[in-house]
Amino acid sequence: MRNKSVISEARDIRLAVELIQLGARLQMLEQETNLSRERLLRLYKEVKGVSPPKGMLPFSTDWFMTWQPNVHASLFMAYYRFLRRHTQLAGLELIIKAYRMYLEKVSRAGMDVVLSLTRAWTMVRFFDASMLQMATCKECGGEFVAHAYDPTRGYVCGLCHMPARAGKTRRAAAEAAAA
Amino acid sequence: MKSTDTYNDIKEVNLAYMMLAQNMVRSDRETAVFRLGISEEIADILERLTPGQVLKMAGSEMLLCSFRFEDSLLLDLLANHERDRGVGHIHAAILAAGKPVETVA
Repeated sequence: MRNKSVISEARDIRLAVELIQLGARLQMLEQETNLSRERLLRLYKEVKGVSPPKGMLPFSTDWFMTWQPNVHASLFMAYYRFLRRHTQLAGLELIIKAYRMYLEKVSRAGMDVVLSLTRAWTMVRFFDASMLQMATCKECGGEFVAHAYDPTRGYVCGLCHMPARAGKTRRAAAEAAAA
Repeated sequence: MKSTDTYNDIKEVNLAYMMLAQNMVRSDRETAVFRLGISEEIADILERLTPGQVLKMAGSEMLLCSFRFEDSLLLDLLANHERDRGVGHIHAAILAAGKPVETVA
């Protein structure tokens, strides 16, 4: 048993359940709680009804650079940075709150959730490790996720200059045909 | 429109705004700070206002809420229906998050 206090274990379990419901992967749960791997596994199965996905976490910063993920990642970071600047929230609480705001915004806009909680959490760690930075778009002045050390002068965001094929997936076409 | 009508309308909007803002802060403080565009200090004040104080504030002839989007781009994004509606709103949210909040001087 790694936990000495029953109360702190109860708190960890509640936190883990919340994270699992938001779609956290096992590796993230292990990092953020003091529960053992076995307990987390059992908890995951109880909450989700299935075994957790296996394999490594996504570790590349490139994912955040393609058009659609970049828009979603930048939206999350906008909330995250706003809350960090203007409220008392910090750490994991801050990530969860920003992620909940992101989820609500995306569902209200009628779009798919592209950024998972684990990705959002990984991204914050990428920022802490200075692997990513925010670039200011010279047209709208908004801040967007970019590779660290990339030149940011004259940066234009993917929303001011939408790529011609943006959002034109096979599924969108099928939905349009069905409508 | 007669000036008493305008006065009553302003009072009604003020009251609705103050009650909404207070509810928002009480139910989810951090989200309210973003959506109202206010500092935590103002959120504290809002939270502590008594119904009597809210009524008194609402009864002034000035509107208590002001127009937030002086930025013409932000307005354009929210009002423009040409674009994919979801993407415009997301762009607006990214820009709005970069704006400073209202603070007490």
